[in-house]
Amino acid sequence: MAEGRAFGVLGLFSDPALLLAAVPKLRARGLGRVQAYTPYPVHGLGEALGLRRSPLGGMVLVMGLLGTATAFLFQWWMNSVDYPLFTGGKDPSSWQAFVPIMFEVTVLFATFTAGLGMLVLLNKLPAFWHPFLDSEASRAATRDRFALAIEAEGEVFDAAAAEAALMVVGAGSIEVLPGLPPPRRVPLETLLGLAAGGAVACCLAGAAMYWGVKLFPVLPPMSHMLAQPRLDAQQRGRRAPAEGSVARGRLPYPFEKPEQARGLGNPLPRTEEVLRLGRKVFAHNCLICHGPLADGTPILTAAYGGRPANLQSRKYLGLSDGEIYHTIMKGENAMPRLGDGFTEDERWAVIHYIRALQRAQHAKDGDL
Amino acid sequence: MAEALSAAALDERVLSFPERRPPAAWFAAFAFTSSAMLLGFALIGYTVYMGIGVWGNNRPVGWAFDIINFVFWIGIGHAGTLISAILLLMRAPWRNAIARFSEAMTLFAVMTAGIFPAIHVGRPWLEFWLAPYPNQRGLWPNFRSPLMWDVFAVSTYFAVSVLFWYIGLLPDLASMRGRAQTPLRRMALTVLSLGWRGTPQQWRHYEKAYILLAGLATGLVLSVHSVVSFDFATSLVPGWHMTLFPPYFVVGAIFAGFAMVVLVLSAARRLMGLEDLITMRHLELANKVILGCSCLMGYSYACEAFTAWYSMNPYIQHTFMQYVSGTYGWAGWIAITCNVLVPQLFWWRRMRTSQTAMIVVALAVTAGMWFERFVIIVISLYHDFLPSSWHVYQPTLVDFGILLGSFGFFFTLVLLFTRLLPVIATTEVKATLPGAQHEGGHHG
Repeated sequence: MAEGRAFGVLGLFSDPALLLAAVPKLRARGLGRVQAYTPYPVHGLGEALGLRRSPLGGMVLVMGLLGTATAFLFQWWMNSVDYPLFTGGKDPSSWQAFVPIMFEVTVLFATFTAGLGMLVLLNKLPAFWHPFLDSEASRAATRDRFALAIEAEGEVFDAAAAEAALMVVGAGSIEVLPGLPPPRRVPLETLLGLAAGGAVACCLAGAAMYWGVKLFPVLPPMSHMLAQPRLDAQQRGRRAPAEGSVARGRLPYPFEKPEQARGLGNPLPRTEEVLRLGRKVFAHNCLICHGPLADGTPILTAAYGGRPANLQSRKYLGLSDGEIYHTIMKGENAMPRLGDGFTEDERWAVIHYIRALQRAQHAKDGDL
Repeated sequence: MAEALSAAALDERVLSFPERRPPAAWFAAFAFTSSAMLLGFALIGYTVYMGIGVWGNNRPVGWAFDIINFVFWIGIGHAGTLISAILLLMRAPWRNAIARFSEAMTLFAVMTAGIFPAIHVGRPWLEFWLAPYPNQRGLWPNFRSPLMWDVFAVSTYFAVSVLFWYIGLLPDLASMRGRAQTPLRRMALTVLSLGWRGTPQQWRHYEKAYILLAGLATGLVLSVHSVVSFDFATSLVPGWHMTLFPPYFVVGAIFAGFAMVVLVLSAARRLMGLEDLITMRHLELANKVILGCSCLMGYSYACEAFTAWYSMNPYIQHTFMQYVSGTYGWAGWIAITCNVLVPQLFWWRRMRTSQTAMIVVALAVTAGMWFERFVIIVISLYHDFLPSSWHVYQPTLVDFGILLGSFGFFFTLVLLFTRLLPVIATTEVKATLPGAQHEGGHHG
């Protein structure tokens, strides 16, 4: 860019009719790009400047439909596939109840496309540095005057000719807009300082998060949860079936003591599918107390104390599949009887998964 | 609109408010509303610390002031969106002068409303559970629950209202920037107006975006209170389980919202000397909307009575009778009187154009709509299916304090708005002033 070349020349009009009349005359002169700055939309100006229609409508339609599809797929995958929820006796794959959120997300996507698409993509805002913003004319042209500018298009720009042309079409308060100053380089030290500051901030935020998560549940009023008189879901919320009843698709469990169950073998093969089912059952039901690695150290023990069983300890490594099955069915110490909530396959699959966790934590050379 | 008004004079009138020191009356009002607000927040802090046992809610009345206030405030917001979006699409240019103020009231009302579900859950620090975020336990929220729909509807409504309001404000902020006397103020307004220049390219996209936003907000405003009504209508509680609820709620919301608009605008135009911009004609038209909504409210109440009778369901009939008789029968009669009877005054033009009459009616409607939600929520709940569970609900002082605080919060925001931002959409008004457009080029 040529040093010191003007950005353009600008003049003011007080009547929209004069402004509209001046536009074709100036465009015919070919001195540079003709641009207008007006305090409100002046109709006909876009046509006079040969502007195309705004593509915003199409963008909004596409993004709105994308919002519909996103909301449907999210809800369907979460509530029908990954974590099927049975409510009101409906099939978990029923879609009708997803409609309100599909509508809301459609509107959300569409409005943000309309708003931010208009501002950022089409109008290239925010733009805090523009010669017009520093001009004297910007005061009047955001009130009740209409600015018309001839702006440099290439290397060559004849500011004097542009001034004369604006004067001929009746513009007042003509002003030359200076060219943009050359971009300033950011010094390396500043960049390094910013990077170092960012790293320190990240470390501090990480430490704060770590201690925050550990301490948060034990501070009042969060700790009031510990002192409440009612039963929690983790305590004895899950009810046992009525005495002597047998749920559909389940067999009655005959054993009272773990020794009796010791001989039960896991009927399921150790396939990827079974392990996947086991992982899901473990995550939904066991992880909250036994921890993601089944070592009895979930986040909750840090807060609430309590010592859920460490399934990686020697005692549990030595249990047979049948004894673990018995614990699931009958409970042990603080652990409630949970087995009634699962199918036969789910119980055995989670045992396979626990075995996989144990093996991963006590890997032998041969496992590598 | 006054014929003699010029664009420059309009700017001088409207945009000079944020540049001047507010009068003593403003500070007095602000001291009052912000004290009420602080009282409310202190009591909210007390509630969060102690738990919601400090409220009067108890079985079977699990929803009371918290949900009444939520529905009440979210309803107040609806008038703003209606004025700014639906009236824009209907090409009603009289909306321009009052659109900005009502949109701001929408925002503040939704912010006020948003407090209540947040504290109603009792443990606000666990609210992130509502978000479908991937977690170690592999759990997802229940998207078939109307309460989840509510979260999405209200948060979308707030986000869209902010965007709509801000985009409308943008050219006015640029005008304020043009008037700025100090470099600091100029810089701040450059940032706030995003460096808006007002080129024809920018205006072309801007106008398109504004119409699109209006269309989308129209659908949204009808959906939000419908979704709020689903919280009730999809349950099996007698008195709630009715297909009437979505339209009934939407009309009630617009009704209450317009009453608040009339109330606030009558005060603001007087105190800010804007009688020639926000004219009696605006208020009269708003009063006509109130009258129309009032008739629809009467129809809805009649419909509830008819449904109760026609259902031949003793539970629904019992609940309906409790609305107008029994322990809380007075609340039902307050709602009927304030919402259906009092606004009938607006059949007379003299009443529609009387400042005193419209303030009386607007206050009556505001109170009446609050009591209507009391009727719907508390009375439907307090007589449970089993007479052994019946329980008379009594609010505590904390309940009343938080209600007062919500009004304090809303009016504090309104007061701040009148002194910080242009209360009239000057750009929109300028574009429709006589002589603002070259003849023949006008297309809305």
